[in-house]
Amino acid sequence: MKEFSYTITDSVGIHARPAGVLVKLIKPFASKCTITKGDKTEELGKLMKVMGMGIKCGDTVVIKVEGSDEAAAAETIENFFKENL
Amino acid sequence: MDYRKCAQEIYDLVGQRENLVSAAHCATRLRLVTNDNSKVDMKKLEDVDGVKGVFSSNGQLQIIIGTGAVNKVYDEFLDISGMTAATKADVKAAAAAKQPLPFRMVKALGDVFVPILPAIVAAGLIMGLLEGMTKIWPDMANSGTYQIFHLFSNAAFVFLPILVAVSAARVFGGNIFLGAVIGMIMVHTDLVNAWSVAGMLENGEVIPQASVWFGLYKINLTGYQGHVIPVIIAVWFMCFLEKKLHEKVPEMIDLFVTPLVTVLVTGYLTLTVFGPIFSTLEEWILIAVQWIITIPYGLGAAVAGAIYPLTVVAGVHHMYNTVEARMLGTGYNTWMPIASSANFAQGAACFAVALKTKNQKFKTLALPSSLSAFLGITEPAIFGVNLRLVKPLVCGMIGGAVGAAVGAMLGIGATAYGVTGLFGFLTCADFIWQYAIMLAVSFAVSFALSWILHRDQTDDGEGEAAAEEPALPEVTCEPGKVYAPIKGNVIPSAEIPDETFAAGVLGEGIGIEPEEGVVYAPFDGEISSTTDTRHAIGISSPDGMELLIHVGVNTVAMEGDGFELFCAEGDQVKAGQKLMTFDIDKIKAAGYSTTTAVLVTNSDDYPGLTIKEGACEPLDCVISITEEEAEPAEEVTETVEEVTEAAEETAEAVEEATEV
Repeated sequence: MKEFSYTITDSVGIHARPAGVLVKLIKPFASKCTITKGDKTEELGKLMKVMGMGIKCGDTVVIKVEGSDEAAAAETIENFFKENL
Repeated sequence: MDYRKCAQEIYDLVGQRENLVSAAHCATRLRLVTNDNSKVDMKKLEDVDGVKGVFSSNGQLQIIIGTGAVNKVYDEFLDISGMTAATKADVKAAAAAKQPLPFRMVKALGDVFVPILPAIVAAGLIMGLLEGMTKIWPDMANSGTYQIFHLFSNAAFVFLPILVAVSAARVFGGNIFLGAVIGMIMVHTDLVNAWSVAGMLENGEVIPQASVWFGLYKINLTGYQGHVIPVIIAVWFMCFLEKKLHEKVPEMIDLFVTPLVTVLVTGYLTLTVFGPIFSTLEEWILIAVQWIITIPYGLGAAVAGAIYPLTVVAGVHHMYNTVEARMLGTGYNTWMPIASSANFAQGAACFAVALKTKNQKFKTLALPSSLSAFLGITEPAIFGVNLRLVKPLVCGMIGGAVGAAVGAMLGIGATAYGVTGLFGFLTCADFIWQYAIMLAVSFAVSFALSWILHRDQTDDGEGEAAAEEPALPEVTCEPGKVYAPIKGNVIPSAEIPDETFAAGVLGEGIGIEPEEGVVYAPFDGEISSTTDTRHAIGISSPDGMELLIHVGVNTVAMEGDGFELFCAEGDQVKAGQKLMTFDIDKIKAAGYSTTTAVLVTNSDDYPGLTIKEGACEPLDCVISITEEEAEPAEEVTETVEEVTEAAEETAEAVEEATEV
């Protein structure tokens, strides 16, 4: 299992658009991805759930990736976070 | 707004023609007199689109519609009801007949004063500006131009009895020119100017007297400059006498007998009876008010400031002009700061409600109402908002009291009357800082209290939602169909002015260019997500469709301002249920597109989506899952063509509408 944490720097946080891009991004991977903020954990593939978490600038989230292609998936996701959020 | 529809709905809700006595309108309200006010469904009237508030006062049903719109609704209303235009005076007369006497008298006073307010306000502002300017350039007082302007500024006050008499004659149904004559008698240049009397007495001069009623007693031959109540009484009597005479006197001699007798009798009684009695009473009123406001430490002003809005509700506040006019005869107008504080506080209380309420309809009413109150016109704020909610009225009264007390302690006085609020600075040129402090205090107290105490009534919200629901057609949801959540114009998602939405990153679907800021549930389902910023809702159907309704583009940056949610995550909703309201104007003002994305986020799970573009009403079917056998390629081409057509049609429709 791969895991990394990231603190959001984008001023409006993870709203609809980045959430949408994220969901698309991980679709090709077989691994199970989750995002955790505080005590709330949601599947990263579920757009509505991710949006509903209301992740804002300054929040720290933990991403967990588990599965056959977890290394590649985690890297893709981490890059996306760093570049966009 | 559809004026015809608004008028028709009002007409139906007030019980149609058989329940209507008369109709008139003022700058903001439709004023109706009904046979039986209890037949009127006030609650439903309030919900009519275009109606900002409804209340019943002084026997009149007053429907607040707003400047600019009210006359159009009124015209339609007359057309629908087949009534003829009544003047406001007619309506008031019809209403007055239903009122107890003291109320009618007070009302008459207001009715007389309101039409002449423009003259008074003009004179007051000129006076204020002149005073202010001579403060800045003291030499100006010696210039000829100043003297001419000064003449303009006090003409309306010197000859006030004439203005009042004309207005009163109109209200009481007499000949306005005879009324004017009575007014002129009272300020005749052969009488000693009332404003000179004090000075003459000081100098030891004798006030000329006249023996009246065959030597029964003597009266001072003084004028009635600045007086109001004796004028109104005199003219009321004149009108009564004139009408009686018209009835009794044979028509042949009516033309010279009636005016002659009217003027002789009224004039004599005015100078010998009404005048002396009522100027004494006026003196007492003035003394009472002056006494109240001289209670030290601002206590008296506080009392006056607190009860002021109540007198506005009763419509007696115009009577203070009398007091103020009298005050100006002897110095500063110290009533004006009290009134101003009271008015400003009502505005502040209303402003707090405007900012805090999540009820969009109320917000759009409360905001302009509060601004109007800041300029001294409090009726919209008091009747439209504060009185209805009670709490803001009380908060405003407290704020007004505190402000008035501060004002009194700072010794503020105005040089004119007729204006309060922000314009009051012009007439308080001697006390700019003090006046600013007073307004700030009354604003702060009132705003803070109102802000703390105001709670949106959840019952009301639900009631509204319930009332709106039946207006929508019942929909039996078919699986795989999305019904329009917003009234507006449907465009393909590819045309949403945002790359991410247009590219289908979040799923395929449509954009809606909204006409109304309400989002209804697009199908029966479960709210799968909402956001803190309230601008987006996720909803999933029992058959697995996931839909995102994202209002506007980039609106996440508005952080919820202008958005209100009526659902929460996990709620089961029915198609057509109100889920969210949003403020179209606010989104535009913030510089964002209002185009709302309605996207099937799991559109990958479906073979394709068929969308219906163009104008849509809520709950029109706008998205349906394409049957497997449909050929997607063709679909797309058609779609594009349709879009172009639809766009052209819309453009045409807009042009037509503009021409009409």
